[in-house]
Amino acid sequence: MLHKSFQNSAGAALLPAHGIGASATKPAISIAGLRVAFGDVPVLHGVDLAVNKGEALGIVGESGCGKSVTWRAVLGLLPKSAEIGGEARIGDLDLVGARQSVLDRVRGGRIAMIFQDPASALNPVHRIGAQITEALRLHRGLSGAAARAEACRLLDQVGIAAAASRLNTYPHELSGGQNQRVMIAIALAGRPELLIADEPTTALDATVQAQILLLLKDIQRDTGMALVMISHDLAAVAAVCDRACVMYAGQIVETAPKHTLLTAPEHPYTRDLIGAIPPSHGPRMRLTAIAGAPPQRNLPPGCAYAPRCRHAIAVCRTSRPEPRQVAARHSVRCLRLDAGTYQ
Amino acid sequence: MTLLRLNNITRRFPLGSPLYGPRKYLVAVDGVSLDVEMGRTTGIVGESGCGKSTTGRIALGLEPPDSGGVLFQGFPLPRIDSNRWRAQRRQMQLVFQDTLAALDRRMTVSALIAEPLAIHGIGDSASRKQRVAELLHGVGLGEDHGVLYPHQLSGGQRQRVVLARALAPKPSLLVCDEPVSALDVSVQAQIVNLLMDVQQELGLGLLFISHDLRVVRHVSDRIVVMYLGRVVEQGRADAIIDQPAHPYTQALVSAMPRLPGGFDHYVALPGEPPSPTDRPSGCPFHPRCPLARDVCRQSLPELLPLGSERQVACHLVRH
Repeated sequence: MLHKSFQNSAGAALLPAHGIGASATKPAISIAGLRVAFGDVPVLHGVDLAVNKGEALGIVGESGCGKSVTWRAVLGLLPKSAEIGGEARIGDLDLVGARQSVLDRVRGGRIAMIFQDPASALNPVHRIGAQITEALRLHRGLSGAAARAEACRLLDQVGIAAAASRLNTYPHELSGGQNQRVMIAIALAGRPELLIADEPTTALDATVQAQILLLLKDIQRDTGMALVMISHDLAAVAAVCDRACVMYAGQIVETAPKHTLLTAPEHPYTRDLIGAIPPSHGPRMRLTAIAGAPPQRNLPPGCAYAPRCRHAIAVCRTSRPEPRQVAARHSVRCLRLDAGTYQ
Repeated sequence: MTLLRLNNITRRFPLGSPLYGPRKYLVAVDGVSLDVEMGRTTGIVGESGCGKSTTGRIALGLEPPDSGGVLFQGFPLPRIDSNRWRAQRRQMQLVFQDTLAALDRRMTVSALIAEPLAIHGIGDSASRKQRVAELLHGVGLGEDHGVLYPHQLSGGQRQRVVLARALAPKPSLLVCDEPVSALDVSVQAQIVNLLMDVQQELGLGLLFISHDLRVVRHVSDRIVVMYLGRVVEQGRADAIIDQPAHPYTQALVSAMPRLPGGFDHYVALPGEPPSPTDRPSGCPFHPRCPLARDVCRQSLPELLPLGSERQVACHLVRH
């Protein structure tokens, strides 16, 4: 099951082109002007993003760029001290500021989320069968033998062998990779329209990481749900997603179809990020080391990346760039591109 | 010239209480031999529990091997904690992943870097001060960083301090255990570049241990691939990555997503690395190996030469 090649994947081709098709099919979720601040420290500076139905979207960035906070804010998972503004629409429902009872139905139902460390996301004192059937009862009203049969089918779907007997095991009896498969089964229990995977393979060994990434890709294609994969690892995103967004200092700086983003990136940060990854083949070249560190508290007056950018000019330090469409489905937030002086 | 040689090293740890039944052992390292050349890098790559960190600790003499020997500059390592071992430790230094644990949080950066100089009795206080300033500069930190405490630095800056501290007594061997795994990609690139610069400048031998095949390929001249305590393949870095011979190396290379292709050449590898407490019979890799035959289940393959610059431990590879 995991041994498929993706040569024939029509993922990208089936998706509506941004702008034209987007009005015909409503996006699975559309986020506009999302802002988050903890006390007087802003962490998200207006995120605009739509995830199309059936699309696999990657969110890439370094620690503290806001890639996880974006989705935690959408799902109401941030602590009470967080101030959240903007909107996140799923159908006609705005999740930002929605009541708990509304969020309870959406979370695990229409939108499911899996995390980096499956061992801490699962309850150690309950058998995994009980944890899957709990989700089935809450979100699909199944109970008894029907729930158990469905739990068994879900475990089978996520590639756990001898599913029926595994329902009686506890999380500590399973390996890290198997626990992540159980988390995915629980996430699938509510038949979500959108699955958010936050660094789903960071804690796993290399060969197991590949298994889980390909499993996510298979499930996304077979079920037609939308998938958002949050990762610091551009290569992992490349393996799973059709389209990717790069985030820096609480903003999206570039969005493009995967292949465009990797082979013809426009934003200097995206280029530097790709140059910093040791290549897996071909000649070994010196890595691009990005000088300095991301802004810690408040953004600089101009472009957030200007202090580290090798292409920055005077205007980059004084005015803020807005996202600019450079091709269909490709938008970039860079002033040098606006001025046409870059490259 | 060979700086460090591990000769058929084995290390096992007893499990549970000796009172009940026959004693069980966790075999962490099983018959590992490898060399680190002066001015060159040997990379060890493998998944969790493959014994790569234990191998690094044995190389430094921090862990005694149960059998086999460690030769440093042609001579056996002195007994651990002996005076001669302490003196030799000046020559061999360790850099590892968790920088907050490696640095005493009550000491300033300058004091941390000066400490190994004091321990090894190198120079007087004025020349130490001078040397600390040189080292700070050498790892890309300013003198104003010297007065800060570890918690006031970022992860990348802390790793620079750890590196400066390791370089302080002018070692000839640096063992790096997952030195960049906790860092963001852009910072990881800074530290990798710095390590390679420092190596070139000082002619250091590097034993670079990581689970990340990309990074290991980038820094290493030779690569040692470990699985469940054994070396399954070793040889020139390019050869190992471009034409892996052992089925495990093949799977490991194919499981590294490529840019921009992703998993274009993926070789499915079922299951997960088994626990080193419960090692399978025969070839330790056979339960996951797509090519396994009867001979693999029964007998342990030896590490044999393949061509002139590579060794592989697999029954199915024609040597």
